[in-house]
Amino acid sequence: MHGDETTGKDLRALQQKFKDGGISRRDFLAALGALGVSAATAQSHLARAAALAASPRRGGTAIFASNLHGPDDQLDPIVFTSGIDYTRGRACYNNLTQILDHLTLHPELAEEWSANRDATEFTFKIRKGVEFHDGAPLTADDVVWSMNRHLGPDSPSVIKAYFASVIEWRKLDRYTVRARLSAPDRDLPVKLGEKQAKIVKRGTTDFRKGIGTGPYVLESFEPGVRSLHRRNPNYWREGPNFDALVLTAITDPTARVNALIAGDVHLIASVNSRSVRLIKNTEGVHVNSTPSGRYGGICCLKNTPPGANDHFVRGMQYIQDRERIVRSILKGHGQVGNDHPISPAYGADHCTELPQRPYDPDQAKWHLQQAGISSAELFVAPVAAGIVETCLLMQANLKKIGFDLAIRQVPTDGYWGAVWMKEPMNVVSWNMRPTANAMLAIQFAPGAAWNDTYWNNPRFGELLRMQLAETDPARRYGMLCEMQRLVHEGSGMVIPYHLNILDGVSDRIHGIPVVPLGATGAHEWVEFAWMSE
Amino acid sequence: MLIRAVLHRIATGLVTLVVVSVLIFLGTSVLPGDVASIILGQMATPESLAALRSTLGLDQPAYLRYFMWLGDLLSGDLGISKAGSGAGTGGTPISEMIAPRLANTVHLAGAVALIAVPLSLGLGLAAAARAGTRLDRSITLTTLGLVSVPEFLVATALVLVVAVYLGWLPATAYVSGTETGTALLKALALPTLTLVVVASSQIIRMTRASVLNVMSSPYIEMAVLKGLPRRRIVLRHALPNAVGPIVNVIALNLAYLVSGVVIVETIFAYPGLAKLMVDAVQTRDLPLVQACAMIFCSAYIVLVFIADLASILSNPRLRYPR
Repeated sequence: MHGDETTGKDLRALQQKFKDGGISRRDFLAALGALGVSAATAQSHLARAAALAASPRRGGTAIFASNLHGPDDQLDPIVFTSGIDYTRGRACYNNLTQILDHLTLHPELAEEWSANRDATEFTFKIRKGVEFHDGAPLTADDVVWSMNRHLGPDSPSVIKAYFASVIEWRKLDRYTVRARLSAPDRDLPVKLGEKQAKIVKRGTTDFRKGIGTGPYVLESFEPGVRSLHRRNPNYWREGPNFDALVLTAITDPTARVNALIAGDVHLIASVNSRSVRLIKNTEGVHVNSTPSGRYGGICCLKNTPPGANDHFVRGMQYIQDRERIVRSILKGHGQVGNDHPISPAYGADHCTELPQRPYDPDQAKWHLQQAGISSAELFVAPVAAGIVETCLLMQANLKKIGFDLAIRQVPTDGYWGAVWMKEPMNVVSWNMRPTANAMLAIQFAPGAAWNDTYWNNPRFGELLRMQLAETDPARRYGMLCEMQRLVHEGSGMVIPYHLNILDGVSDRIHGIPVVPLGATGAHEWVEFAWMSE
Repeated sequence: MLIRAVLHRIATGLVTLVVVSVLIFLGTSVLPGDVASIILGQMATPESLAALRSTLGLDQPAYLRYFMWLGDLLSGDLGISKAGSGAGTGGTPISEMIAPRLANTVHLAGAVALIAVPLSLGLGLAAAARAGTRLDRSITLTTLGLVSVPEFLVATALVLVVAVYLGWLPATAYVSGTETGTALLKALALPTLTLVVVASSQIIRMTRASVLNVMSSPYIEMAVLKGLPRRRIVLRHALPNAVGPIVNVIALNLAYLVSGVVIVETIFAYPGLAKLMVDAVQTRDLPLVQACAMIFCSAYIVLVFIADLASILSNPRLRYPR
């Protein structure tokens, strides 16, 4: 079945990606090698792809279908929680900083910034001449107001944990603001690039108008139906490329893929790995599969049996047939996990020295015997792609070594309040965070609100703080590596796999940035992608 | 006596509505998790939950909230949706959220009814008039087949053939309220077709069955013996006496088109009222769930009342309630 036609299509998709700047020359050649193309032929394909490289074209209306929406769709950035919110936020607003291709940090509304020596004071120069959609100029007051909404115990901000060390944001003059911190945080500028850290107009009381400084002006917004956006003629920098955007969601996965194939929409989020072949075999559409730090995992609570026993957790980790999960359950659209959340998608933050934990039933059996436990109950809901199948595979493999794992399947609806962090064994999904430290802190810091295995390691907490204060890159990496090792060896998390982000894309859409933080280039396509004739 | 019978039905309907309102309120309050915990989802902390709950007024006792809600409802105020507005803002009036969805639902249900009702009455009568012939058998077989096929399969098959392979119609129905003319027709075509298939089959079968049932009674035999033409027997003698069950099945189907088409709405991404209610349940937006449920129940009660009225008018024996 995997004939020349498919290879030809893969090749075109790769060429497209290369000419759009989505992958490097080396990745391009490596990918061709994986397709079974000889080195000489690969070089000629490379030349052709480079020749095809086109400059962005203006015009067109891009229609995007996310996977979830509802009457609770938001335009207030601090409570954004879903892909459709993030995409609309990207169209309406800007951040101080911007995270782009391969997690590089760029200035956005902040032209430049500087920190004091111990990283407890950050000063941001705000770009001049930027206007909100209603014509009001952007000043330091707007930035201070927007950022202070994340502070304080009563703040409903979804990411207030990121800014827990920020004491206050203060205006120095009309175009300068300063953040004062109670503890050093070298990652602060990166965190300001997060989807919820948008700059809104000071004193906004009705966010449904979506007034920001972003590349598109909101024309209409019906929660749970769709929103319409027109190009901002006064945008403060080059772009965007589309005349208009239609942002909606199609909740049924099959209907979403059908809409892409039928040409109703140009871009869909969250393609099911079973639908990838169908899209690949259809003319005019392709799949972008981007390795990410997103993962599905199994939590064994460390404050209660059976997870309190280290041997038990180790047994659960050794019984994961990771290669097979990625190959058969994820159909290759994932990476093998190593029982800590920092996947290779985190780039330089990923610890390469840590050995991969293999599938080893004998070791698993020995550890479970040491623990003296022969049965357990696991609560499973389909919270992440492949997690239910992974648990069933785990159950079968445990049975072979004489361990009885009972699986309780429960609905996703209400799962986070009723099961997660409550039942001794449950499943979880985590999205990627912009820095390794942010990811590790949010899930594993001693006493953190979402420490979902109740793992408490004082040395780990100390490393988290030290790493944010450290300036020497080698030592920063050393600390990150030690933290990954501590989680890998001590916590109650079983992380068998990391998920790729799967987007369905029309061949007419080009220039989607490769940002593994979320669907469709972490929603950055809104500003940078363009449409060919 | 006719007026008394009608008043009796109206009173029963009103009592039913009040009982239903209590059930809806109780039903929605036993759902696990409230709107605050659903909004915050995986990202909830005890402090942020408490903060959000008090802003949303969720810390009041349940019976108080019921009477406040009922009072607002009677004065025509459907309330404010607790989700959807930004943090620290006023919220969205539910009537504003429901109005466009209700219009979409009425469009779709209307289009389906306009096609399905005459079509199925005609086919049902034709089958009854020619019972046992090849026409009757093929109608019976087809409707029986279609009744047993779940609607998501009908919908998916139509999308696959008409939208994906043939490319004649869009695979999803984007109805924003701005489409007119051909665009609107195209957007509505596939969902309408799906629902016509689902709804007609039942009406056809019920029409055929009730007309045939009457056809076996002695007075029809009399009419046959008098030498009346078959057409006149079916239309003038049998149909009026079979109207009761037929109108009832039509009313139930219409009520289903208003409230129960969530699967079709999901597959075609059609922004109707049923989908809004399911979304509202998922987000624990209880005022919105309650408003939708009340609209659905009212639609049922009104439609069933109309069906009863039709039965009473066609059958004088029902005018004397016992």
